[in-house]
Amino acid sequence: MKKYAIRDITKCTKDCLCLYVCPTGATDTENGQIDFEKCIGCGACSEACPSRAITMIPWNYPAEQTHSKLIIQKIHKLAESKANQERMLEGLPKKSPNFNRLAKAIAKSNRIMGEDLLRESGYLIPQGVETIKFLKKLLNSDYVGKNTEEIELLIQLLSPHNK
Amino acid sequence: MGKYVCAVCGYVYDEEVTEKKFAKLADDFTCPVCMATKDAFELKKEVTKNDDIEEDLDELKELSFGQMSILCSNLAKGVEKQYKAEAAVLFHKLSSQFKEKAGVIKTEDILEVEALLQEDLAEYDEAKNIATKKGDRGALRALVWSEKVSKMVRSILNRYNKKGDSILDDTNIYVCEICGFIYIGNNLPKICPVCKVPSFKMTKVEG
Repeated sequence: MKKYAIRDITKCTKDCLCLYVCPTGATDTENGQIDFEKCIGCGACSEACPSRAITMIPWNYPAEQTHSKLIIQKIHKLAESKANQERMLEGLPKKSPNFNRLAKAIAKSNRIMGEDLLRESGYLIPQGVETIKFLKKLLNSDYVGKNTEEIELLIQLLSPHNK
Repeated sequence: MGKYVCAVCGYVYDEEVTEKKFAKLADDFTCPVCMATKDAFELKKEVTKNDDIEEDLDELKELSFGQMSILCSNLAKGVEKQYKAEAAVLFHKLSSQFKEKAGVIKTEDILEVEALLQEDLAEYDEAKNIATKKGDRGALRALVWSEKVSKMVRSILNRYNKKGDSILDDTNIYVCEICGFIYIGNNLPKICPVCKVPSFKMTKVEG
């Protein structure tokens, strides 16, 4: 599987071992990132990094697991309920600071549960077919008004690389 | 008129095009592409290709604005993990727009949420059963986590019902960013009790 290296600059401790091992000089940049054009995806930098700041990212992702319609329906039902609970908790009148924190925490919990559930209904990989289908459908709807260009950009950003 | 597909290379013998029944072909007929013999051909089963897509589109129609907001905030997280900052910004923006369109539901009492929560809790057994039977480990995992977290929320609401918001006096409240588990207390466990992520992924909720 073809890969390329990405450096998490919040973890990079400038040990520079990546510089020693990179055969193309892709890791030697001013901006702290790895030069996309020079990276050949050999993974030497990632293996050498003592801070584990470098990850190898695949160019293209394999097709994700498919889900039965029945399970998708179940997941949608639960996700809808979580979405509504979040909306209810955010529709409560503000009361004491304690109460507000409690409502906020449960609302957030519902969002995270909803996210995790929907993710497993076909949206695990943002480049996956379901996500692209979702975005293309948005393009043909009136949901997003003037954001057509942004959605087209998103589709482009998620399309497979061809290096 | 039928179509016969070569099981080796995929070449299609279309009776409509050749105007000759496949069965009437000589026994020594071979695939013009790969030379596979006649017995390597199988009658093509007509799969209604467009149906799949239409079905999926119907499912998408069912996604409410609330769900679309949740879907987009999750996709934002997904692309963030791939260091795609530009895509993350766009997904976050979509998520906020859908959230605004969904709006809030005016609610008087926090305990009203419990009715929906109870309905959810009644769903999990059947859903987990289906996921198990279908061998869908991903869905099963998400269902197990959210069932556990939902039970946690119910127990917190029960405590609130008895003691009111004093349950948070001089006490912090955290939410696990991965599974949604809620921790009320000042000594966070080292890992999330539900999803086992390290505690730095559990965020303190401020007022």
